[in-house]
Amino acid sequence: MTEDIDRGLLEFIVERLEAGVFVIDRDYRIVLWNRFMAMHSQRPAADVVGRNLFECFPELPQKWLARKIESVFILKNYAFTSWEQRPFLFRFNHNRPITGGIDAMRQNCILLPQKDAGGEVQHVCVTLLDYTDTAMYQMRLNELIGELKQEKAAQQELIKKLEDTQGQLLQSEKMASVGQLAAGVAHEINNPIGFVNSNLGSLKGQVENMLSVLSAYEEVEKALTGQPDLLTSLQQAKIAADLDFLRDDILDLINESLDGVQRVKTIVENLRDFSRVDASEWHHANLEKGLESTLNIVWNEIKYKAEVKKEYAGLPEIECIAAQINQVFMNLLVNAAHAIEERGTITLRTGFDEREVWVEVEDTGCGIRPENLKRVFEPFFTTKPVGKGTGLGLSLAYGIVQRHQGRLDVHSEVGKGTTFRLALPRNRAAEPLSDAS
Amino acid sequence: MSEETESVGTNTTLSDDQRDALQEIANIGMGQAGSSIARIWGEFVRLSIPRIANVERQDIPAVLQQLVGEKNILAVRQAFHGQLRGEVIIVFSGGPPSELAELMGYDDTDRIEELELLLDVSNILVGACLGGVASTLGVDIGFSAPSIMGIDISPRDLIPADEILHSRALFIEVCFTLEQRSFACHLVVMMPAGEIARLGKELDRFLETL
Repeated sequence: MTEDIDRGLLEFIVERLEAGVFVIDRDYRIVLWNRFMAMHSQRPAADVVGRNLFECFPELPQKWLARKIESVFILKNYAFTSWEQRPFLFRFNHNRPITGGIDAMRQNCILLPQKDAGGEVQHVCVTLLDYTDTAMYQMRLNELIGELKQEKAAQQELIKKLEDTQGQLLQSEKMASVGQLAAGVAHEINNPIGFVNSNLGSLKGQVENMLSVLSAYEEVEKALTGQPDLLTSLQQAKIAADLDFLRDDILDLINESLDGVQRVKTIVENLRDFSRVDASEWHHANLEKGLESTLNIVWNEIKYKAEVKKEYAGLPEIECIAAQINQVFMNLLVNAAHAIEERGTITLRTGFDEREVWVEVEDTGCGIRPENLKRVFEPFFTTKPVGKGTGLGLSLAYGIVQRHQGRLDVHSEVGKGTTFRLALPRNRAAEPLSDAS
Repeated sequence: MSEETESVGTNTTLSDDQRDALQEIANIGMGQAGSSIARIWGEFVRLSIPRIANVERQDIPAVLQQLVGEKNILAVRQAFHGQLRGEVIIVFSGGPPSELAELMGYDDTDRIEELELLLDVSNILVGACLGGVASTLGVDIGFSAPSIMGIDISPRDLIPADEILHSRALFIEVCFTLEQRSFACHLVVMMPAGEIARLGKELDRFLETL
């Protein structure tokens, strides 16, 4: 077919094609070197034709390229290089002298075997194509993909934060409803307990009066010696009623009942103090009182674990949301009890200066490892066994303290114990941070 | 060379004679490929007996998995064109063949561009195998540049069935191993249904010359 075409035309095409074309023989000698190659390498054909490729261009990766060319001769097969893996074979200037953005021309090369009539490969013809523009587009695309990935990661992080916050909100809502329920129950119990208490008080006085009247009647028995029948029936009635025991026991019963009712009253009061119905209202409150009522609420968790020492300084009242601060106390107290494995001491210490008041909860428990110490306020961080801790308690406490513009600090020594210190300002700033923050 | 020649699916387009001829030609072609590769790398390669299968479109992912195994793979594809047309998938199951870097002329002082090595090795294997088959059959084919198809993907996901253009394909599968090194890969030649008739004609022509 080629015989039919004007030889000059073929020469023109090879020479002026907007792609590099060069041919090498079995000894790596350059046989043909077109204009594109000459222009970009600044080595005219006359300079290089007849000479060894690697002599003319020592910067080429000789070992690898020679192997590649060799494989074309042996396999009589194509070989390729791609700009994605090997940006270029020859370092040529790119076609962007003004706009730039890339260091050198990106090239795809095709190594083509030229066979003789016997099927043996005589030459390897290399075509070098300029892929700079494609490469630039690809680079821009990759940058965009990178940015998208980053954005996606940032979004993921935000979603995670949202989930954490939602978890906290759920937890605090749960605590709030528990508090309201407790307050409701406390209110309902308070009335009946009130009248049972006062009735028992009256009953006690009345029984005492009745007993003294009974004693007066017993004095009269002596005058009944003349009527043995009457006396005998009286004696029998007294024995049947076990009057001697009854006289001793009846007051004990009433006293014990009064004591029991008093305890119920205390519990109810503590419950009401702990979870005030006005849970989100700012009030003046005494933190020591709050600490006391909270301690009573969680007393069952603590009493078998620790002796509680109190070193109260007599705090002044501060403005706070007492129910929330009590929740902080509860978390600190329960954590302190959990940290103690067998038996230990929990010390409750308070203090104040002109700026702030503070409450310390110190335990002699197992302590927190340094690597965990900075994470204790993270939501869902817990070292307790699965099912025992939600990992929300301290993060919730932290959130509450932040809303009070206070600080919650922790100091811990493994094996010795942990101290949490809650400090709140005596006068809160005019604009409290909103709950959402 | 212990693997059995077997067919997967039913062969509806090639006659029995044509099929036998293709098997023979593939055997001879792969033999030639083995000796060419040994000349380039200076090491003996072992090639399995080619397995020929006619596969329906919906079965292609499953058959690929059956041929190359369950493990995640690295895959390269390369197209051939000319008197026969089709695509070849080269599947590396053990990661990039870094064992071959030295054989391919990569300096160990250089940072080895693993993907380029993968493409180079694929090109050699495809060229040797298809070149062997084409020269035995006496047809002229050319190749386009190989490209990466997937990195660490399941063989099943290599070609999703709904992306396949033809209703049926002819598979020729060969497994390579190097005797001196722990290198192995699968090569699957795939020809679309429309090309099978052309292949049949070439096979008939070949049979006549015998």
